[in-house]
Amino acid sequence: MMSLEILLIIAFGGALLTYLLGKISHKLRDSFAVIISLTLVFIIACLYGKSLEKTFYFGFLGLALVLRLNILSWFFAITIAVVGTLSIIFSLSYIKAREKTDFYFFEMALVNAAMLGIVLAGDLLSFYIFWEIMSWSAFLLISYNKGPALAAGMKYIIMSIVGSIAMLVGMLSLYVSFDTLSISQIASVITSASSGYILFILIAFSIAFGIKNAILPFHTWLPDAHSEAPAPFSAVLSGILIKMGTYGFLLILYVIVGLKLFLGLGSGIFSFHSIFCFLGAVTIIIPTFIAMLQTDAKRLLAWSTVGQAGYIILAIAFGTNLALAGGIFHFFNHALFKALLFLAIGAVEFRTHTRDLDSLGGLAKKMPIVFIATLVGICALIGVPLTNGFVSKWLIYKTLILEGSPFLAFFALVGTWGTILYSYKLVHNVFLGQLPEKYKDLQKSPISMQLPMIVLSLAILLFGILPGIPLKVINAIGISFGFESLNVTLWGITSETGALNTINIFSAVLVAGIIVWILFWIGAKSVSVAQDNSYAAGAYTPKDKYHYTAEFYNPLYRMVKPFLRDVIDEFYYWIASSVRSFADSVRRIYSGDVGYYVMYIILFLALLIFVQLKWKPW
Amino acid sequence: MSEIGSLSNGVNPVLLIAVPLGLAFAIPLFNLFWKPAAKYIPLVALAFNLVVSLLLLPKVLENPVIVSIGGLRPPFCINLVAGPVGVLFSAIIALVGLLVSVYALDYIHPVRYSQRIDTKLSNWVGLSNGVKEGPTEKYHMLYLLLLTGATGVVLTGDIFNLFVFFEILCISSYALVAYLRDKAGIESAVKYLIQGAVGSSLLLIGIGLLYGLFGTLNMADIAQNIKSVSPISVFVPMVLIITGLGVEAAIFPLNAWLPDAHSSAPSSISAILSGIAIEVGLYAVVRVIFTIFGASSIFLFLALLGILTLLVGEMCAFSQNNIKRMLAYSSIGQIGLILFALAIANSYGVTGGLFQLVSHTLSKALLFLAVGYMIYRAGSMEISALEGMGRKMPLTCLAFTIGAFSLVGLPPFIGFPSKFLVVRAALATKEAYFCVLIGLALLGTVIEGAYFFRVVQVLYFKEEKPNPGRKDAPIAALIPMFIFVALIVVVGVYPKLVTDVLNSAASEILNRLDYIRNVLG
Repeated sequence: MMSLEILLIIAFGGALLTYLLGKISHKLRDSFAVIISLTLVFIIACLYGKSLEKTFYFGFLGLALVLRLNILSWFFAITIAVVGTLSIIFSLSYIKAREKTDFYFFEMALVNAAMLGIVLAGDLLSFYIFWEIMSWSAFLLISYNKGPALAAGMKYIIMSIVGSIAMLVGMLSLYVSFDTLSISQIASVITSASSGYILFILIAFSIAFGIKNAILPFHTWLPDAHSEAPAPFSAVLSGILIKMGTYGFLLILYVIVGLKLFLGLGSGIFSFHSIFCFLGAVTIIIPTFIAMLQTDAKRLLAWSTVGQAGYIILAIAFGTNLALAGGIFHFFNHALFKALLFLAIGAVEFRTHTRDLDSLGGLAKKMPIVFIATLVGICALIGVPLTNGFVSKWLIYKTLILEGSPFLAFFALVGTWGTILYSYKLVHNVFLGQLPEKYKDLQKSPISMQLPMIVLSLAILLFGILPGIPLKVINAIGISFGFESLNVTLWGITSETGALNTINIFSAVLVAGIIVWILFWIGAKSVSVAQDNSYAAGAYTPKDKYHYTAEFYNPLYRMVKPFLRDVIDEFYYWIASSVRSFADSVRRIYSGDVGYYVMYIILFLALLIFVQLKWKPW
Repeated sequence: MSEIGSLSNGVNPVLLIAVPLGLAFAIPLFNLFWKPAAKYIPLVALAFNLVVSLLLLPKVLENPVIVSIGGLRPPFCINLVAGPVGVLFSAIIALVGLLVSVYALDYIHPVRYSQRIDTKLSNWVGLSNGVKEGPTEKYHMLYLLLLTGATGVVLTGDIFNLFVFFEILCISSYALVAYLRDKAGIESAVKYLIQGAVGSSLLLIGIGLLYGLFGTLNMADIAQNIKSVSPISVFVPMVLIITGLGVEAAIFPLNAWLPDAHSSAPSSISAILSGIAIEVGLYAVVRVIFTIFGASSIFLFLALLGILTLLVGEMCAFSQNNIKRMLAYSSIGQIGLILFALAIANSYGVTGGLFQLVSHTLSKALLFLAVGYMIYRAGSMEISALEGMGRKMPLTCLAFTIGAFSLVGLPPFIGFPSKFLVVRAALATKEAYFCVLIGLALLGTVIEGAYFFRVVQVLYFKEEKPNPGRKDAPIAALIPMFIFVALIVVVGVYPKLVTDVLNSAASEILNRLDYIRNVLG
């Protein structure tokens, strides 16, 4: 029997030991880091289905800190542990030649440990403590790449501090009102609170979680941070770290406030619920189109993350059992496929030292595994059947249509359309087309990079063909929130309004594939051309950017670009720069002239006496 | 409670003042026999003080120890009041003073001579070799006097005595700010002196008026009779005293001396000025307002003043490029937060304020100590000169980072529980006024986070020339720094270590009637 505090001790202690071992030998450190993270996966897997609650620390300012495991936190914990482990394995060769590798592994392990702490926290104070540890260690990792990463890190941490302040205020207000911070106790007494107060609490926490989860208008840190962080950490950031916001939303909306109260706030389109859905929908649309404009592969993926997080929020905010299942499943799927895509792009960057979509191309033959992994990843991202992304998106669309929300459904579908465009751009500009001269002798990725990608690709396909495995857990989460149970089978969901059966789809695709293959086999007459053979009618071929991956979707850019200025980001920059210039003028109070300084003292005294004589306030 | 009674309990609080004062003046004597004695005497004196304070602490938590000097009972004699607040402060003063004096063992010789003889600090190699040992007994003597003054301020129960100890503190700090004898140091010391003198005069006038009104200088006695006089005639001495003490306590707009003085003093002195001196000033303000005047009507104004101080401090710190000035302005910001928390004036607020004070003392002292050697190595106080310091001085930078994280209020460091308490106290009042002010205070935290994280990035993640060569601060500096780090982490994880003391200190501050009863019997 494994208790939760031992789990956290292993996680945090493992992080520290990893650092110390690095001082002795790098090999030892690497294997230790991997072993520790595999141990965590194993322990969490063993805890499946258990429900534990344990006070692990008395007396932090008179508050008991509680760890708690239920099906919701188990599901998040296992996702964190798996994605974390795979990124650490990927890092082994990715980070090898860099400096401060001990620090890097320490921080990776620390972020993962803190995230485990977040999902296992049974009271808001320990939740907050782990949340902050996660925030600052993520800041250190985002800044790791130096150069432009510094600005990205600053942007991240400032927004993050704003979020945690909002959370602190919300949390302490709950504490002052109910004299407890235990999640289960608050949940049982909050029903007595007025709806205005609940709205205040929800807004405070929504700011915190919205910033982490990158909902519009709090998304601006994400594109910078995700694209500048080291690739394995981008995978963690995008796959699981921002999902702590999702977890937070589930916690505050469904566990603490509860479904009934949450849906009952406000009415019509001005209810909290529908405004939230609307925010989710906007978060799908705008970032998706911005993603199409990107020429930096990781930036493209980062914007895509914002968009996909919009689906999750939309589904969670919608508040029916089918939507919630879709939302949580999409969280899980997104963790897998976005981690996969970031790792794949990281593998490309590792060899080519660039992420510029205009100068890459044709790498499919040089890096077949990476290519296939990316293909699987974007299929899941788009939601192609037989990948897990299909099932979760199917659930979301189905809910939106069934429940009569055509606008939201339209947003979601347009989002998918945009997703197809940028996904295709990504896979095409990196792997298809001509191979630039300079990459002629590119080597394959190291095995420690390929392995995580293979595992993730297989998982995506497995859960696409047999979605019942995770859906069973997700259904249990829904039931714990007080929803009706769904009819989950191993290959989908049966319900009276239309069933999902992935086995049928699988057979259909298999048959169609065989037919196509036979047709091609009969009629095949292909000509093989060297991959770097750019045909220019005998004229001189410029070496750089002269192949057709450059300026992809150019007409579309020109059409949508004027509408897609990131006004919000500009607004934040405006705030930052006005604070800066205001601070500069405040500084002039301290002019350096001691005469003024003495005058301040005398004036202060005179003012106090004057005020008292005149109005007698004191 | 008689003199005999307190003595029979073992330790006498008078020792906390008498021993360091005596030793301070004995430094020149010892110096005749053994040159290095000067730098070890503060160590001995402060270690003694720390032990005595810690021995006293459990006792005063039950009952304050009142010591009368001269055989008469209060109010007819000079007396010391060693309550939870006084002993808490004297313990902190002794602890921080001790650690900083360990730091100064290796620091103060080279820093003085290298700066005087050769302004190009970058040429400075080796911390103790190649530098002529010089007479530093003045430094150590003044240092010990400063801390004696501070201890006296927090322990005395007599308002004129408070003024005297305050002057000891101030005058030694004027001299220490100018200790390097460079232009910046002397200029800022003179500015500090002028403003300090204005403040002291106001304070003295205020005390004189009080004496005229009540015919006594005993704080408890004045407090007891304060309601017997017309409000306006009490008000004038009160604002005079608050303004006078406010100069040292760095309350906006009386704090203009601070950024200059704190940034041009030697770093060990900056640590003491930021970590001890202004806190002691704030203590005096609080003691006067809460205990003597019981002026609950000005709490709202004080809270506002605190927030104003905080915002001005944080904004000025934000626009600094000089690391020591940045830290100095950040101290102003922190003082503002402490003042705000104290002005909430319920038990949460005062506890939170005192906790914030402890956490600021530890963190800021650590930051100044770490910065002391960093600017040495860099040869400049510009933040941009610290690029890549994380590889040159990894341990020092680690200490700096932990101090910075703690000040911003991140767990698991000490700044987190203190900030937690302050925010909680403000929300617990359920008054819109305090809720708005705490919102502004938290805004200040965002700014604070911005400039501290920027420095952390500069230390670790800025481009640097390859192979810088690693050379950390000497061991005599690393030991105190890492004791601070340990305290910051341990109290941050286990705040109960201090909360009991802070709670009873808070109740001493809030219950003036108990204070009066304890002193006057």
